[in-house]
This record gives sequence, C-alpha cells and structure tokens, in this order.
Amino acid sequence: MIAPEFFYAALIVMIGAFLALLRVFFGPSVPDRVVGVDTLNTLIVAGMVLLGAAYDRTIYIDIAIVYALLSYVGTLAIAKYLQGGLE
Amino acid sequence: MKNDMGLIVKTTARATIPLIGIFGAYVVSHGHLTPGGGFQGGATIAGAGILFLIAFGLGEMKRRYNHHLYSALEGLGGLVFLGAAMLGLGVAFFYNTLWHNGPVFNGQPGTLLSAGYLPIMNLAVGLKVFAGLVSAMVAIAAFRRWDE
Repeated sequence: MIAPEFFYAALIVMIGAFLALLRVFFGPSVPDRVVGVDTLNTLIVAGMVLLGAAYDRTIYIDIAIVYALLSYVGTLAIAKYLQGGLE
Repeated sequence: MKNDMGLIVKTTARATIPLIGIFGAYVVSHGHLTPGGGFQGGATIAGAGILFLIAFGLGEMKRRYNHHLYSALEGLGGLVFLGAAMLGLGVAFFYNTLWHNGPVFNGQPGTLLSAGYLPIMNLAVGLKVFAGLVSAMVAIAAFRRWDE
C-alpha cells in the first residue's frame, strides 16, 4: 500500500532541499553555508518521515530520529569551531 | 577564551544527552528487530558523549572521563563478543547454541528475547564502539600542539 500523496509531499520537500543546497554551494561566507546545511538537515528529516509514511514502514522513523539528533550535534560542532574552538 | 558554550546550549544539552543515550540504547538492544544494531547504536551514544564534550568543554569532560575505565570497557566489549561467539564451540565457531538449545534468548522470533546470541553481540559491539569513539574524541580534543 503506497500512498501517492506522501510522494508528492516528499517531492516538494526535495525541491526545498535543492534550494537550500544552492545556498550551500554559492554561499558567500561560511555561516551562510552552515545555515544552509542546517536547513538541509531539517528538510532531510522531513523527507525521511514522509518517505517512511509513503512506503508504509514504521521503522524508518527511527532513522529520522537518529538523524535529527545527530545533525544537531554536527551543527553545534561547526558553530563551536567558528566561535573559536575548544580551549 | 571560554571553554564551554552558552547557557542555552548547556541547558539543551542537559535535556538532549539522556534522550540521545536512551535512543542509542534502544537501537543497540533492538538490533535484531529494527534497523541499526551495535555499531549504529554505539555511534549514536558516542554522539551523546561528543555533545557533552562540545557543550561543556574539555575541562569538564576531563573531570568526568576516566581513561582506564573506557579502555577496560572497550576490551570488555571485544571479549564479550568473542565469548558469545565461542558459546557453541562444541559444534562450530559462531554456532548459535543459545538459539538452538539455550536457556535464554530463544523466544518467539520478532520478540526482544529472541535470536540467540545476537542481542549479546549487539550489546558488546555497542559498548565497544561507544567507548572507542568517546576515547578517540577526547584524545583528539586533548591534543594540543598549537597552544604552546
């Protein structure tokens, strides 16, 4: 049972992720790219949840949760580096 | 330079670190039922350790981190994996004797206490990966060459 409306929603999210990817490619400064990657992470989490609903698999949501938690850590690491690093 | 991050990050880390740890433990212990397993869950729990290191700084991490304990835990993980593999040595190496005629871990397939030695091996690999990654991250963070 594959619901097509979830695929359309995932396609829209993918278009948004492509726009965020453009900011990562052409961002003039480093914080621009970091914000682009952070937006991309959130959109990918949304895409994972939508695709999990589209394929009707509950266990795919676990991967979205892990990705959401660890992308937060990654963004925090880059922010700490830009702030001046450890010590 | 301040060693830790701001108040918001620290408070959020206090709320998030148990969440990541519990979810990593869920991934490890359900490694034979859901996606993930030892390495993925161990890396997720190590992500909680890295979040602690980032949010609270190296000084606090050095105070909480015991090198000998983590080294021993990593060795223990490898030894438990090897011990679980040797359980069915009467038939063959890696023979799943817990599943065929063992006292525990032989429930209905699909339940938590099933699949023989797989949950034990997942726990061992998760412990090993967690201890190894956190040790590696603390060692890299403590490496200071450009300060002096």
